Order: sequence, then structure tokens, then C-alpha cells
Amino acid sequence: MGSMAGTHAADRAADTPATRRRRRSSGPPGEPRRLAYLYILPAVAVFATFIGFPLVRSATFSFYEWDGLGSSTWVGLANYTAVFSDPTLRGAFFHALVLIVFYAVIPVSLGLLLAATMMRARRMRGLGLFRVLIFLPQVVPMVVVAIAWRQIYGPEGPLNSLLRGVGLDGLARPWLGDYTWALPSVGLVGTWVGTGLCFVLFLAGMAKIQRELYEAARLDGAGPLREFFTITLPSVRGELAVALTLTVIAALKTFDLVYVMTSGGPGNRTAVPSYEVYRHAFLIGEVGTAAALALVLTAIVFVATVIINRIGDDGQGPAGPPATRGIRALLRRRHDDPPTTVTSAPSGALSTPAASDEGGRRR
Amino acid sequence: MSRATRKWARFVATAGVVALIAACAPGSDDDGDDGDAGGDTTADADGDADADADGDTDPSDLGELTLVVWDQEVRGGQSEQIDALNEAFEAEYPNITIERVSRSTDDLRTTLRLALSDDDAPDVVQANNGRTDMGQYVASGLLEPLDSYAGTYGWFDRFPESVRSLAMYSDDGEVYGDGALYGLPQMGEIVGLYYSKPKLDELGIDPPATHDEFVAALEAADDAGELPIQFGNLNPFAGIHEYGFVQNQFVDAETIRNLGFGRPGSSWLEPESVEATETIMDWVDAGYFTDGFAGLDYDDSWQQFTQGEGVFLVAGTWLLADLDGAMGDDVGFILPPAGASGQNLVTGGISIPFAIPSNSDNKDAAAAYIDFITNSEAMATVADAGNLPVVDAEQQEASGLQADVFEAWAQAGAEDLLVPYLDYATPTFYDTITAAIQDLLGGQRAPQDFLEHLEAEYVEQVGS
Amino acid sequence: MISRTERIANYAILILFATIALYPVLMIISTALSPDQIGDSGGLHFGNFAEAWTQGRFGSYMRTSAIVAVLVVGLSALFSIMAGYAFGTMRFRGSEVLFYVVLLGIMVPAEALVVALYFDLRSVGLTNTLVAIVAPQVAQSVAFGTFWMRAYFRSSSREVVEAARLDGAGHWRTLWRVLVPMGRPAITTMLVLIFMWTWNEFLIPLVMATSEGLRTAPLGLAFFQGQYTAGTALLAAGATLVALPVVLVYLFLQRHFIRGMVEGAVK
Repeated sequence: MGSMAGTHAADRAADTPATRRRRRSSGPPGEPRRLAYLYILPAVAVFATFIGFPLVRSATFSFYEWDGLGSSTWVGLANYTAVFSDPTLRGAFFHALVLIVFYAVIPVSLGLLLAATMMRARRMRGLGLFRVLIFLPQVVPMVVVAIAWRQIYGPEGPLNSLLRGVGLDGLARPWLGDYTWALPSVGLVGTWVGTGLCFVLFLAGMAKIQRELYEAARLDGAGPLREFFTITLPSVRGELAVALTLTVIAALKTFDLVYVMTSGGPGNRTAVPSYEVYRHAFLIGEVGTAAALALVLTAIVFVATVIINRIGDDGQGPAGPPATRGIRALLRRRHDDPPTTVTSAPSGALSTPAASDEGGRRR
Repeated sequence: MSRATRKWARFVATAGVVALIAACAPGSDDDGDDGDAGGDTTADADGDADADADGDTDPSDLGELTLVVWDQEVRGGQSEQIDALNEAFEAEYPNITIERVSRSTDDLRTTLRLALSDDDAPDVVQANNGRTDMGQYVASGLLEPLDSYAGTYGWFDRFPESVRSLAMYSDDGEVYGDGALYGLPQMGEIVGLYYSKPKLDELGIDPPATHDEFVAALEAADDAGELPIQFGNLNPFAGIHEYGFVQNQFVDAETIRNLGFGRPGSSWLEPESVEATETIMDWVDAGYFTDGFAGLDYDDSWQQFTQGEGVFLVAGTWLLADLDGAMGDDVGFILPPAGASGQNLVTGGISIPFAIPSNSDNKDAAAAYIDFITNSEAMATVADAGNLPVVDAEQQEASGLQADVFEAWAQAGAEDLLVPYLDYATPTFYDTITAAIQDLLGGQRAPQDFLEHLEAEYVEQVGS
Repeated sequence: MISRTERIANYAILILFATIALYPVLMIISTALSPDQIGDSGGLHFGNFAEAWTQGRFGSYMRTSAIVAVLVVGLSALFSIMAGYAFGTMRFRGSEVLFYVVLLGIMVPAEALVVALYFDLRSVGLTNTLVAIVAPQVAQSVAFGTFWMRAYFRSSSREVVEAARLDGAGHWRTLWRVLVPMGRPAITTMLVLIFMWTWNEFLIPLVMATSEGLRTAPLGLAFFQGQYTAGTALLAAGATLVALPVVLVYLFLQRHFIRGMVEGAVK
């Protein structure tokens, strides 16, 4: 740890024209160093070997017909044609769309509503405890979640018992075997997992809204609804983007739930892209189709992320390659704002949890 | 601006080089590793001496080794008998340690393909004998032909042609039922009709021997407010058994065999098949199956049967030990009722055979193990554990439910009543027919549509 | 200020949501403590856990999971801190492009990797090894960790770095003696998130290893479900065992989990 004298020296050094110029530019602080390459070497190497290379190899695989065992045949774009023409695979993407409603749209709406309701009370005792409990589903392993919900949905399971108990016998059904209800049933598990996350996210976002805004609005005679749409919602746009990104990706990537709960059935009603990738590559030996499917899925994840973060971006996103701008806006989330506060931040501030992270996010 | 462009240009160039390296075709350079050639070389390298001594290998001379065995015998009785046999094997050959890995049928299926193609493959696996599994593995050179071992151990004498042919393929996996032997079963297996004795007594009817009697029994049970047939179809495989059971009462043996083995000469669209399909739908509509069967787990279903829910249960002899244990004298077993063909045709044949992966490093020990768990002493162990041994069943003591099953098995053999599982037909037929049956029973496919769907894949397989 | 009724309504809503969130968890725990065989006496059956532990071989599965978690968390934390330090405090050619590429990597779903990765690793004989399970997860975690640590290093006080340097500390010493101790909160958050993802990961270990000794806990549990056919108590006990480590870590370090998620940690 530097001495006080050192800190003052740094303060003085910070005033030289060179540093000032550097601070204004968007580049990272510090002087040029070739050493940096050594520091990033392990990360970049493992990244290139286990993410970059396989991705390129997937692209290669996707042009071949291969059973994973013998030799392969070049088939051009036939695998991609299959992805878009095979009813089961097309169905899988449609199911993913339905899951987005359950994984993302409903939890985000519920989370917003719940958080906004709670924020009307200035201070609620015990809110911290509820936050911990409601967030819990997010950390439980998916396999455990799937086993629990498989029981809940059983023909004689708690859900049907509850329905029969309140006289709604007509609604009781074999949820996971029902052609209409199997997919929503799987989706509802996603809702259960995601709602707590969204709630906690929005709670954090709304806590930063200045109280005076609400007081002013109330003086203007605004009701809860107008308050929500004119103040609350615009203020948590960033959190909204994060929540949507996380939940939409989770919906598109659903695998464990389907693997454990339904194996894609009844019929193919709960077949989802990830499960089809696995099934084609490792069960029925259509590796090329699986690779094409995986790449299409990846592309969809990218596009969804960019679109969502365009929405969350408030128009002054940092420059850069257009494709990454949205993602950058999400991921950096203003951490990279010119560090005007940094030089004056007392070092003590850094000892409180996340001061560094939250510091950049205050508006 | 230009700096940024340059950076990107360099990045793109680097990516291009990587792409070139990555562009080699999949499988082109590792054919040898995965195909016969590679597998055999590695195996021979460390097992040359064994190979020479093929004729009369004594497992005690193989040195210290660990035999990795993947089985799917997870149910009460079966798991027990494997444990007992493994223990006896280890006692007989102290130099060999068995590492047992057991999985449900479904879970074994989903991981077996990955495991077989690995250099570090298990030494003995249970590979389902249909084209979906064993046929594919044989075609890809992943399984070892067992004929030389069969000579050594006298398997051709021990197992009749009818049993062996269920695990025989040509080298390329194209012909099923002929060629080399790739696996040996431990148990016989038939999908018959379990019935609750007290419930039949209450209804005042005898176990049905014909289709008409069976339908009358279903009606009587339904009228009496009993559940006629206990059934859970959440696990996709269950539907194959239920559908086959009904099909056997309408379609003749030759047709079912052609369809099941993927041999030319028949069709899914014949009137008998239509009639069978419509009948099972009539039963669904009449509420003869468990309410909500589509969402009912297979194991939950038979457990409900043991607790008195259901007059009949269509299931294989793999439940013999479990049902016997839970119900004792309250349960009986018969062959499916005789229908149009006048015969009590029954789906089944052999339990999933034990095979040796080409990538195994301990093939001789593996063969010795397979011999050990299928010899006549093993058959006695199988019977003792409450199951149906594939051969010598008539020499075993049995009573109650087990006696029923032995008798049905003997009759099926004597009268040539066995017809194959329908999913044997093509490399992808398991997925096709399980989903199609779920669709049919769920009212998502009309009977005609269902049959045309199956016919399309059958025609593609037999190329007619 | 809000009215008393509204306050009560708020609590009612919170209790409702908390109940829904907890119900499946509590159901599993209570099933785990119920008698396994019909007809067994009532009361709490803690023996189910021991029974499930041996029958389901959870000892071996949990050990593999622990080893995998330690390796993935340790390696990816080390690599991420180093890379984040370089990206956050040093200027070098190509830094932006490289960083964006790593960022894009966060978005790549494991599904897109496992197919090619499995077959390529198989051809070099690496499937069915710890490497095949650990390395892809390290790569994914490094993508996230580099982003996370870079944000920390960028916001860390520059005069501290420069002061350390004036005191004669080299860049390596500055990193480990000054910045890392100061960044404990941010690093802890990264560690717990990577731990959770690794412990819960299903697809990569499912595909990459087939030998019994390399099965992780979630896989073991999924197989136990198919294998254990006569009752639900032991299955629930197994599920409880598998969830326990990550839930315990969550309960003790929940602030870090929640903060990580709030900051938009994607995987």
C-alpha cells in the first residue's frame, strides 16, 4: 500500500497534461506495456483453444454429413436447409420462443411490478430477508429444480391435489404428458427461476431513484400508474436490459430441464434447440445437423442480445464496431465512463463492497 | 480510423488462418482411431499374447486388471443377480476386479454411443440389439464380433439359433439376424399381461385367453368402476410395449417380424394394422387406460398397480421380481390374448445383450465375464433372483408368478410366438415410433396418419 | 409514506412470492425426510441421506464435482485477474479488439461448443479426462472473469498503483500485494458466481466424460432418478445433497451472488 506522500505525488502527477489527455480518451489508463501480452496470454490461449477454435470447427462440421464415427461427406448448406425445413427442428425454435415468454416476459413484468410496489414504501423491515428467499431459485442446480417440479406436476402430485382441493377438478391433468400444457409447464419452471432475479435487479435499480422525483410527481397529482411509467420504468432501463438478456439467454439455452423432465415429449412438444443439438450429435449421429443447429442458436443468442441492449442503451453508447456496441453497453454499463471520480476517490471507499462497481453506475 | 481498420484487418487475417487449419473435414483424420483398424491395433498392442492364446485363455492368467461393465439392470431382482454374479466372478478370478456402472435403460442409451467411441471404452456393455443401437454400433465398427469366443466357450451349443439371431448382424450392420454374433443375453424377455387375481375374482372372470375375452374383461372392469389397464407413458419407451401388445392381437407374426426387423415384404398400411390402431384408440377413448397416462412415470405406474390400481398391466418380464415381491400371490402372468392369427403372439425375445466394445483393452477377460454370467450356473442364479433365464428355464424351480412366466416363455418358444420389438426396425425408429405413439395416444395424430408416418420410414429402410 | 393497509398488502405479496419460491425446495427436503417404503413408520428419516449417499454413489460424484469446481474456479480466477489487470491498467496494441472478442465469447452458449469440442478432443484422446470437463468451463469463466476484473481494475484508484510503483513495487507485486487485496469484494463475487455455474453445469460433463469416476453431482443425480425406481424419498435426499453446497455458499455470501447478477453477469 502506498504512503501518503506517494498518494500526493500521484495527485500531482495526475495533473500533467499527458495524463489529462489520457484520462479524456477512452483508452485504459497506464502506460504502454508489452508485458500486457504475457498477462493476457493464459486467458487468451484457453479462450482461443476452447471457445474460438471449437466455434470455427462447428462451422466446418456444419457443412458435412457425418455420423460421428466413420468418414464424412461434404453437403454444402444442406444441414442449414434441414434446420429450417425439418418440422421437429423448426418446432424446437418455436418452442424456444414460447419459453421466452415464460422465462423472460412474465418474470420481468412480475419483477417490475413487485419491485415498484415495494419501493413505494420508503423503508420496509425485513425486505433483505425476502430478497434472499425470493432469489434462492436462481442458485439451485437445474437438475434439482427439474426433479422437484417433475414431482409437483405428477398426476397425483401437489399441483393436481391443490386444484382438486379447491374444486377445480376439471383443471387437473398430467401436466408433463399433456400436449397443450407440457411446454407451458416447463416454461413455468423458468418463470419460477427467473422472477426472483428480476425482482432483485429492479429493486437495486429503483433504490437509486431520487425520492424527490416521486415527491414532485405526487405534488403534481400523479397516481401510482403515472409515477411508474414516467419515473420508475425509464430509470431502470439499464436493469431491464440486463434482466432481459439473462432471462432470454436462459430460455434459448434450456437443456437440463427438458433432459430430466420430458426428454422432449410428449411427441416432440417440448423439444428445444439445445436438446436437439445434443440428440442429433450424440444420440442419432447427425453431427452436421447438430453443428448447424448450434450455430443458428448462437446467432440467435447474439442477435437477441444486441437487440435487447439497443433498447437498454440510452443513445450515447460508446463507439466501436456496431455489432458489439449493444453488448458493450450492457457489459460495461458505464464502468468505462471517463474516470473523473477515480482520482479523487478516497482509497477507503474501495474497502466497502462493490464501491468500485457501483460507483460507476450512479447517475 | 485507419488504425482501427488495420486492427480489424489483422484480426480477420488471423481468424482466416485459424479457419484454414480448422477446415479439415470431420472424421477424415481420425477414421483410423475410431474404425476397426485403430481400435484393433491398440488392443493388439497390449494383448498380443492373449490373441494368440485365444483358443484356451484362462482368465486367471490375464494378470491384475479392472473390468469396467456397463449394465442397465437397475431393477430390484436384476440388480441383485448382477451383484451376485459379479461377486462370484471376482471370487473365482481374484486377479480381476469388476467396476460396475449401472444406469436406467434410457440413460444408458443416451451415453453409450459416446462411451463406445472413446479410446477408453468400457469392457462390457449392454447394447440394445435393434438397429437403432447395436446395428449402428456394428456398422461403425464399435463392437467386437464374438464368433471366435463363441467357439471357445461353446456358445453356439448353449444358445439356440432363435436367441443368437437376435444379436447377429452382417459386418456393415445392414443385415439383421444373420452374420456374426455381437452379444449374449442373460434373460428371456416377453411383454405379456399381468393381472390382479383378487380383482379378476371379484369380477368373476378368468384370465382372458382370446381377444374377445380380453375385451369383455375390459368392459366388465370398467363397468365395475375398476381401472382396466394400468399404464404410464411419460417415459417414451412404454408406448412401444402397449402398442405392440394390441398389434399382436390383429396382425400376423410374419408381418410384425418384417416390420420389426426392418425386412422387406410387408406394410404398415394393411387393414389389420389399421384395425389394431383404431382399437387402441377406442380403448383410450373409453378410458380403459390410467387417467393421465401421458404424464405418468413408468415406475410410478407399476407401483400403483401393486397398490391395487388396475386390473391389468401390460409389461415385460423385467418387472417379474419387483411385482412378485410386492404382490406375491395376488398377481398372475399370461401371454397376450390370441387374436386374428389365433396365436398368442408376444413381443420380446431376449433381454438387452452383453457385448464387447472394440475399444476395450480387456477383450479376453470381457469374454470370460460374459461367459460366466450366461452359463448354466448363472441361469440358476437368474432364476433364484426371481427372473426369467434365457435358456434352461424349464430346469429351474419356480412357483407363483415366476412359474406363470416360465410357462408362458416355454409356450412362446414351443409355438414360435415371439415377435420383435417394433423399434428394432431402422437406425432412428426408436425416436420415430416412441414420439408417434405418444402423438397417437394423445390424439395428435389420426390412426391413418400415424401408420403412414411409420410406413414412410419403413419403406425408406427396406428400399422398396 | 404509504398507508398501513398498503404496508400490510406489501408484506402479504412478499410472503406469497417467498412461499412460491421456497415451496419446491421445502417439498424436496420434506420428501427426503419421509419414509422411503410404504408402511415404514412415521417420523423423520435422516437415514435416507446416508442410504442415498451409498446407493447413489454421491460420495464419488460430489468428490468429482469438488475437484472440478476447485480447478475451474482457481484457474479461471488466476487467468482472469491477470488478463483483467492488463486490459484494465495497461495500453497495448490490439487490446480493444482482443477484449471485444473475449466479450463476444461470453455470449457463446456451451451448446455451440460441445459438439465440435467433443469430437476434436476425442481424436486427440482427451475425452473422458478431467481436462475435457475443466478446460471448456475455464474458458467460459475466463471470458466472464476478464470482463469483470477489467472493470474493477479500471475503476481502481490509479494513484494507488502509481504510489506503489514509486515505492519500488513492480507490476507483478503491485497486482498481488496492492490491487488484489483491495479488490477482495469484487473478486469474491467473481469466485462465487463461477463456483455456482461450475457446480450446476450439466451439459459439458454429460458429454465430455462417460467414465463413472468422472461423473459430477448433477449428472449422478439425473441418473439416480432413472435408476432408482421404487419410491421418491431417496431421490429427494440425493437432490438435497447435490443442492446443499451451492445453497450453503449462497446463504453465507448471498450479497455477492445478488450483486454479481445485478451487475449483469452472463453465462
